[in-house]
Amino acid sequence: MAGLSFSPGMRGQFAAIARVRWQLFVNGVRTIRGRLEVVARGLMFLGFAAAGLAGSITLGALAWLFVSRGRLSWLAVLLWFVFLFWQLFPVMATAFGETVDSSSLLRYPLSFPSYFLVRLVYGALEPSTFLGSFWLLGLAVGIGIADSRYFLWAAIVLLAFAIFNILLARMIFVWVERWLAQRRTREILGVVFFIFIICFQFIGPLMSRIGRNGPPEVSRIGTQVLPYERALPPGLAAAAISRAVQGSFAPALAAFALECVYALAVLWLLSVRLREQYHGENLGEAVARNTAPKEKSAIRFGWNVSGISGPVAAILEKEFHYLSRSGPMLFTFVMPVVILLIFRLGPQTSGKQGNFLAHASDLAFPIGAAYALLILTNLLYNCFGADAVGMQLFFVSPVSFREILLGKNLAHALVLACEIVAVWIAVCFMFHPPTADVTFATVAGVAFALLLNLTAGNLLSIYTPKKIDYGALGKQRASTTTVFASLGIQAAVFGLAAVTLLVARAFGRVWIAAVVFLILAGLTSIGYVLVLNRADRIALDRRDAILAELCRA
Amino acid sequence: MDAPAIATQNLTRRFGELVAVQDVNLSVAPGQFFGFLGPNGAGKSTTIKMLTGLLAASSGRIQVLGLDLAKNSVEVKRQIGVVPEGMALFGRLTGAEYLNFVGRMYGLDRETAGKRTAELLDFMQLAEQPKTLVTDYSRGMQKKLALAAAVIHGPRILFLDEPFEGVDAIASGTLKAMLQRMIGRGATIFLTSHVLEIVERLCSHLAIIHKGRLVAQGSLEELRAGVEAQAAAALVDAPAASASGEKLTLEEIFLRIVGGTRRSDQELSWLG
Repeated sequence: MAGLSFSPGMRGQFAAIARVRWQLFVNGVRTIRGRLEVVARGLMFLGFAAAGLAGSITLGALAWLFVSRGRLSWLAVLLWFVFLFWQLFPVMATAFGETVDSSSLLRYPLSFPSYFLVRLVYGALEPSTFLGSFWLLGLAVGIGIADSRYFLWAAIVLLAFAIFNILLARMIFVWVERWLAQRRTREILGVVFFIFIICFQFIGPLMSRIGRNGPPEVSRIGTQVLPYERALPPGLAAAAISRAVQGSFAPALAAFALECVYALAVLWLLSVRLREQYHGENLGEAVARNTAPKEKSAIRFGWNVSGISGPVAAILEKEFHYLSRSGPMLFTFVMPVVILLIFRLGPQTSGKQGNFLAHASDLAFPIGAAYALLILTNLLYNCFGADAVGMQLFFVSPVSFREILLGKNLAHALVLACEIVAVWIAVCFMFHPPTADVTFATVAGVAFALLLNLTAGNLLSIYTPKKIDYGALGKQRASTTTVFASLGIQAAVFGLAAVTLLVARAFGRVWIAAVVFLILAGLTSIGYVLVLNRADRIALDRRDAILAELCRA
Repeated sequence: MDAPAIATQNLTRRFGELVAVQDVNLSVAPGQFFGFLGPNGAGKSTTIKMLTGLLAASSGRIQVLGLDLAKNSVEVKRQIGVVPEGMALFGRLTGAEYLNFVGRMYGLDRETAGKRTAELLDFMQLAEQPKTLVTDYSRGMQKKLALAAAVIHGPRILFLDEPFEGVDAIASGTLKAMLQRMIGRGATIFLTSHVLEIVERLCSHLAIIHKGRLVAQGSLEELRAGVEAQAAAALVDAPAASASGEKLTLEEIFLRIVGGTRRSDQELSWLG
């Protein structure tokens, strides 16, 4: 970036932004919920620190091994691993959640270089940058230990590679952010994202299928892929180091120069996007005015669901409208069948080489059903999240939270029922029809797990709600407290269900598991009703906190 | 004499150390178009939230249509309509779906909800984009939809928190027409607004809250007479408008009651 320098004014602006971030953090821990979030984030940080250290040592050891044994071409594998993690982790884990809303900075007299640096620096403060940088450091140290003459060169090459990764991650983010700015493009992107995720799941089974065709097939594909790999930044960085170690300095320099060219190209693309933002691009979504002659509105009636009250039917209808208009949600719902397909595509031989379902195909239905319930976790445990300001209506309307939760629970239970039927049909086609006792035990197990999840989910939805947008790709996680609590509950429920089912199966009496699940479901239903009956009181007591979270801009 | 449509006794709300609303005693008669005014942070929104059940009162009592809100919240909510600050909209529904939903939440059968939805969409000129999601509506369209939702069940009292904020003149005209129609049919309207000209034109009765306390309540004429009497008693020069025989405007009354003063030229001298 030409003309990029730190003037005193720029330094002041940077300090002010850093200070406001700190104040936001301090203000955030004033509430109990904020403190819980900090504890949860602290635990996550410890996890990332452990992953960073372990990854750094492992990659360093591998780099040392490859360099000291002369297997330099393998360095590319390590760099590709770092590169893929660096670019994919933000998509998979944080889903493009940025901690700083830097676009709001545009109202202040920031120069473009300042704006550029703020977006770059604050946006890059995320786990992938921390872990990727740490791992590259480990790689450089590993190479340095193997041959200290090349430490400096490796460090320079890997530094350039780190800069490239940071720039690329930011470039991807700002372009995705631009597409996320409008609802329609956001939803299209959401669908593309989920197709990508689904395709990603098939890599393992396909690789194992290719692997089964023997070494010639693998080597043929490898030969085809290698030229492309070498022309891309991870391959170039690896080549820059390995060629230098081999004594070919000119090719090493050329590879490094090409790596820098990639970084500059990415920098240019990033600056193009940020410059558009800086100049105040308009991404408005105003509805086009309809010039057609005005007609009387057609009368449209709501759903008529016999056996349930009008408000519950209205909530049921509203939930289905919301779910059916969310591309990401719809794609989430097909995942159980996709997972079964992935298992089906895996090696079908029994024994250690085969996948689990190859020698226990009778468990395909329970596993698919469990996965179907698992993907509903976000919905069940944060069921008011998508209502946002609409939550106010629930508090001003003459409908009890008992009915509101019933409507939502009914909608989610119906979605799960559809999923279970789809999984059952998929299992029939992909494996074999589940036996009656397995089907019955699975349905009883799902009933128990669903009731327990609904009970806990209703409570957590009221106690720790978090505003989410079904149509958006990013920032879709429930509160960290809810995430941890739901993970614990799911682990306990699925652990209990799995042990019960496997023990009953081992004794050849799967029906015993069904009976156990039915008893548990009966007991859980008492808790479910108790929570429903107390929901109104709890919600009214917590209305300030609920509305403050869900109605925030 | 009829029981007040809205009455509060010593209504108080604390947020930790802060007393946002203190000992407010309001009385709104049935059929009144009641304006609730106050400077920023005076406690207007907090009060309207307590009156509509969006916020619990720390102490005090609220009676709506003769019913205690704390004890009969469901029955009270059935008879009131609310346009809260955030408008309580569901962004991923269409306007028709939202109105249908709200109608059924208020206990209308599906046929009635469907018919009223169509009528309200036509009246509010929102029928042109039947498939547009509420999230894609303009601010003015959202306000009109929120008002339509608040009246779909034919409430006896309508609470409006800043209904004209961010609304253009055309949408504002539609909103005012609907409100006048409701008043004509005997409903009570309780609104907060910063736009004093609109309040002056629409409201028959007013209350002014300042620093959490109710400092004035009555008809516009009563408030005007009170301000003029105070000025006379304090031997303060009557305002120019009064001296020239013109009536004090609501803005002048408001500024006198809440003690709004012009800052001296010495302050903010660096400001050009």
